[in-house]
Amino acid sequence: MNSAGVVVRGLSGGYTPGRDALRDVSFTADPGQIVGVLGPNGGGKTTLFRALLGELPVRRGEVELPGPPAYVPQTEGARLDFPVSAFDVVLMGAYARTPWFRRVAAGDRAAARRTLERTGLADVADMSFGVLSGGQRQRVLIARALLQDAPVLLLDEPLSGVDSVSAARIESLFAELRAEGRTLLVATHDVRQAGEWDRVLCLHGRQVDFGRPAAVLSPETLRETYGAELIVLEGGGRAVGVGHHGHAH
Amino acid sequence: MLDLSAPYVQRALLEMLLLAVPAGVLGGWIVLRRLAFFAHAVGSVSFPALVLASAWGIAPQLAALAAALGFGVAQERLGRVQRIGADAATALLLVGALAAGVVLASDVFESGTEVDTLLFGSLLGLSATDVWLTALVAGATVVLDAALRRHWLGTGFEPAGARALGLRPVLAERMLLAGIAATAVVALGAVGALLVTVVLVVPAATARLLTDRLATLQLAAVALAAVEGLAAVWLADALNVGAGSALAVLGGGVFAIVAGATALRARAVPAS
Repeated sequence: MNSAGVVVRGLSGGYTPGRDALRDVSFTADPGQIVGVLGPNGGGKTTLFRALLGELPVRRGEVELPGPPAYVPQTEGARLDFPVSAFDVVLMGAYARTPWFRRVAAGDRAAARRTLERTGLADVADMSFGVLSGGQRQRVLIARALLQDAPVLLLDEPLSGVDSVSAARIESLFAELRAEGRTLLVATHDVRQAGEWDRVLCLHGRQVDFGRPAAVLSPETLRETYGAELIVLEGGGRAVGVGHHGHAH
Repeated sequence: MLDLSAPYVQRALLEMLLLAVPAGVLGGWIVLRRLAFFAHAVGSVSFPALVLASAWGIAPQLAALAAALGFGVAQERLGRVQRIGADAATALLLVGALAAGVVLASDVFESGTEVDTLLFGSLLGLSATDVWLTALVAGATVVLDAALRRHWLGTGFEPAGARALGLRPVLAERMLLAGIAATAVVALGAVGALLVTVVLVVPAATARLLTDRLATLQLAAVALAAVEGLAAVWLADALNVGAGSALAVLGGGVFAIVAGATALRARAVPAS
C-alpha cells in the first residue's frame, strides 16, 4: 500500500464551464482513514468523487492520489434486467488488468470468489444481480471495488436503504479496509455514522468544514451544511440529513 | 421447389447465413442496451441516400453508409439537447429522412417497384458484392465483440462506475453504434430500409426470452436468425412473395409463439 493518502488543494469544478457545482475544497485523508462526506442532495458529494476519478469536465485545483481510486456507485444506477450474476459483476473489478483477448485470469476468478465470501455473498454468487436484495446488491458493488485492489475507495451512499444485516457487514468491512491502510471516502446522509469515522467533510456547493468529527459536527456546521434539509432526532443527540427519497436513513 | 443450383438462390441463402452472425452478436447488445429504435432508424435514414445513389449511379452501400454516419453524428448532437432527448431526436431524423426519400423517389423513379425494393429489399436479387460485404461485416462484428464486450457489458450494466473500472464507455458506445450502422447497411439489400430490425432485433429479442446468459443469448440469436433466414428464402420462393416481408412475418410469428409459451410457463411455475 502507498504511504501517501488523498491530498486535495483548492479544488473547484463542475459539469459546464462557468458553473461550478463545487468550490474551494481542501483536505487531506491519510492511509487507513475513513472520511465521511456529508451534504445535501446536490451539495457536491458525487461531484467531488467525479473530480477525484478524473471524470469532471471542468476542474481546477490539485488532487494527489496514491493510485487510481475504486468507485462504488449507488445501486439505483445499475440495470436489474442485465444478464449478469453477482460473480460476473465482481469480476468487472479485474477488467482493467485483463487484456481484451484473454479470459479473466484464474487468479482473479479465485480472488472474486474470495471477495464474495468476504462480503457474505458466497451463497448468491451465481444468482442474477437483479434478484438480489438492495443490501446484497450494494455489497456486490463493494466486492467489485475490492477486487480492483485500489488504495483509495470512493463510496457513494453505500449505506442508504440497505437492510441491517448488510449495513453491519459493510461497516465491519470498512474497519477491515481501514486496518489494511486503505483510504475510504464515504458519502452519507447519516451524521451519527459519520461521527464514528476518522474525519468528516461537510459540503454545500463548497467546503463548509473538514476535521475530526468531534470538532466538525456542531449544530451550526450541520445547519450550514444541510440548511432546511436537516432533521434533528433524539433531543438533538442525533442529526440526520434527508436523502433524496424523502426519508431519513 | 427451391432450385438450390441457381446462383441467385445460393447467394440469398449464403447472405442470410452471414447476416445471422451480426444479427446474433450485435443483436444481443441491441436488445440489452435498448438500441432497437436506433437500429430501425439507421436503416430507415438510408432510404433517401439509396434513392440518390440510384439516380446518380453510385454504389448504394456507400451512399447508405454516408447516410448512417451522418445520422449518427446528427443524433448525438440533437440528443445532447436536454429538452429533446435521444429518442425524440431519432424519431425526428427518421421521419425527416423517410419523407425526403419519398419526395426524391417521386422525381427519380417512374414506378413504385423500385421504391418497394429499396424499402423492403430484394433478397433473391443480390449481387456477389453484396454477399462479400456482408461477410466482411460479419467478420468485423465478431472481432469488435471480442474486443469490446467487457466495455459494453460494464457500461451497459452500470454506466456511472464504468470509467473507474478502466473501461472506455464513450468510445465503446460509438463503436457499437458504428457496428450496428454497418450491419444495417449490408442488410439493406436483403431486407430493405424499413425491415432492418427484422434481422437486427427480432431474433435476439426472441432469444432473450429464453436465456439469462449473454453468450447463450448471442449464440441462440445467431442460430435463430440463420434458421429464420433460410426459411424465409424458401417461403419467398415457394409463395412468390418478398423475402424481407416473409422474414418479418416469420420472425414476428416465432417471437409471438415463444413469448406466449414463456408467459404460460411463468404462470404454471410462479417465480419464487
